[in-house]
Amino acid sequence: MTERTIITVGTRLAPFASEGTYFDGIHPVERDVAVRFDEAAAGLIIDLGEGDTITWPFKALRRLPDQAGSGDIILAKAPWDDPACLLLPAADLRILRSRASGLDRGRPTQRRGRLAILGLAAVASVGLMLAVLIPLLADRLADILPAEGEVALGEATLEHVRSAFDDTGLGLLPVCEAEAGRAALGALESRLGAGTPVRLQVLDHPMVNAFALPGGLVVIFRGLFDVADTPEEVAAVLAHEIGHVAARDPTRIALRSAGSIGVLGLMFGDFAGGAMVLFLTERIISADYTQAAEAAADAYAHALLIEADLSPAALADLLERLLGDVGQAPPIVQHFLAHPAMADRIAAARAAVPEGFQARPALSPEDWAALLSICAEE
Amino acid sequence: MSVPGSLPIAFVGQRKPLAILVLQVGLLTLASLGFYRFWGRTRLRRWYLSAIRPGGHPLEYVGGGSEKLAGFLIAVCFLAFWLGVVNLILMFASLSVFAAPALAYVLSFAGLVPLWFFARYRARAYLLARTRWRGIRFYLAPGAGGYVIRVFWHGTITVLSLGVLWPRMTFKLEKYRTDRTYFGSARLNQGGSWQMLQPAFAHVLFGSGFALIALALALTSTPRMALLLPVFGIWAAVGVVHYRVSSLVLMANNKTADGLGFVLAASPWTVMRIVGFGSLAMVIALLVPLGGLGIAVTLAPSELLEGAVDPMAIGVHGWAILLLVVVLYFGLFLAWGVLRHALITLPLWRHYAQTLTVTGIDTLPRITRRDAEAAGEAGGLAEALDIGAAI
Repeated sequence: MTERTIITVGTRLAPFASEGTYFDGIHPVERDVAVRFDEAAAGLIIDLGEGDTITWPFKALRRLPDQAGSGDIILAKAPWDDPACLLLPAADLRILRSRASGLDRGRPTQRRGRLAILGLAAVASVGLMLAVLIPLLADRLADILPAEGEVALGEATLEHVRSAFDDTGLGLLPVCEAEAGRAALGALESRLGAGTPVRLQVLDHPMVNAFALPGGLVVIFRGLFDVADTPEEVAAVLAHEIGHVAARDPTRIALRSAGSIGVLGLMFGDFAGGAMVLFLTERIISADYTQAAEAAADAYAHALLIEADLSPAALADLLERLLGDVGQAPPIVQHFLAHPAMADRIAAARAAVPEGFQARPALSPEDWAALLSICAEE
Repeated sequence: MSVPGSLPIAFVGQRKPLAILVLQVGLLTLASLGFYRFWGRTRLRRWYLSAIRPGGHPLEYVGGGSEKLAGFLIAVCFLAFWLGVVNLILMFASLSVFAAPALAYVLSFAGLVPLWFFARYRARAYLLARTRWRGIRFYLAPGAGGYVIRVFWHGTITVLSLGVLWPRMTFKLEKYRTDRTYFGSARLNQGGSWQMLQPAFAHVLFGSGFALIALALALTSTPRMALLLPVFGIWAAVGVVHYRVSSLVLMANNKTADGLGFVLAASPWTVMRIVGFGSLAMVIALLVPLGGLGIAVTLAPSELLEGAVDPMAIGVHGWAILLLVVVLYFGLFLAWGVLRHALITLPLWRHYAQTLTVTGIDTLPRITRRDAEAAGEAGGLAEALDIGAAI
């Protein structure tokens, strides 16, 4: 490599001259060329020999970025549609940069408008899938899914929930099965004894939550017992979840998630992966049903509770207490309670109590105590 | 090699600038929530190809990030429907017929297999159409659909032959791709026959054959035969790498293009050494931050790990630990990428490049460019399915 020194005399610069290799982009044949500046024409003259010259304007000169070789630079001509290229020694870079202001400018983004339209189309099709087509299809399919299929789906989802909420991250969240507690729960269940068969499971987790899974599984987290003051409040939550089971809401949600997982995985590309199963689990347990589905489950619960000589007002009591505790509640409950329909639900539960309604206690004090310690070691 | 009319290939890439580039791309990809990956992949391809210099002149990658994004967006439009509706129907079918939700995931994955091969072919077409040498582009003629059909046809034959006819599939698929590849006006041709690959396949065949026999004996009459399983297993695994490199060499040496030819002298043992030592070095290098992560987790307040506590209540100490965990988590991803490129991908490319020679270059002046400016967004499906993650 030759050392080049630029000596400025007055306003005149020393003439630049160098040698390189030129490819015309038509034949894969290298041509040794001499290059120099034509200051008057503001261009780089590529001398192919035998009187043949090509001029590339200074402002059209571009250098290919991210090159592994450090000994030379590769020049191309904007707007890049000319396939010719010119290899020059890397030492020429400084003097080239003094003339070619756009040397390091990248390739222009082609057709910005088209990219924007494609972006909108992609967002629209994903949105259409997630918000319209998948829910529509899931709702139809949920209605014709055979019972065994629902049960299998519920079992699989329960497994996901138990492994996702396990603190060790390795095992499964323990199921609470203290005998007296199970008996008390069974008593509540048969008291509510609706036409809808359900299977109750209590999981040993501090979160205040209860949710229904496909196939008539109703899951209660231990945290609910920690905030419930009376067995009537637990019964009211159970009745609400049985309402979801009767309407097959969990099956709908699970099928929707099955459709959504692939679409979301596509959007997040290499970022997510295993997080998708967590997403499904989250959807199920946060029970993000529509307001209409919630209202229907509430109405079902009110009727069920009155049928069982229990007051629907218990549901209002529990919800109100949770609202009052909102400052100390875990974030997920805060989200749940921030729902604008909450006040409506409380009012509806109070209004559902008939005139002169006579309630019978849901459980004896002994049974209630047993239920509260269902997660205790025996 | 100093055969007249032949061009040795130089590889000028160095580890350090590559590591800096990979790190830069990785950070920008994280910061842009993954969006920069289209431009990042473009930059890496540009760098790797420019490092390969047959006869001193670098390969040039002229693809752009925005066309990759456009291709990805187009693929998303179609895949969203496929993945949503098909997955949902598969889930419904496997639940109502077999009462087994896991089956749906298997079926949905199987449904993507043809799409994957389709995308592979298109991605190759895109890469070739955006690669130039001496100012002339490469080109792969359309044929992704035919390729998928052949993958299934040859794959079925391979399965029916219990794997014995694997070399036949290797050769036929490579011939399909090669015979549709052009350098400018020069069309490549895959010569030779599949039988030439058979000797290279012997180690895979005998290694896995003996392993199966040992397994069968261990399960039925002689439990002690299980001790031989690892020996035969390693034999078969080494055989697979040996076969991959040897078949590549044999097929490269039988490729021609209008008088141009190739001599590849890649060594299976060198490839095994690069991958083996590279992986070992990566594991050792990654154990350091992992150890740090372990310490951070032990120091973290236990309420934090239970996740049931209000995040506002964990205090400054807790936040510092949380931050450390997050930084280590992403740092591990970045380190993985940097190490993989510097310790495995670059040495492998260097080995293949340096052992390849182009012959018959006297015919180069006969070659002219093609005008077809094809396959602009053909890489999109591959981007969406995350294929070609190597670069």
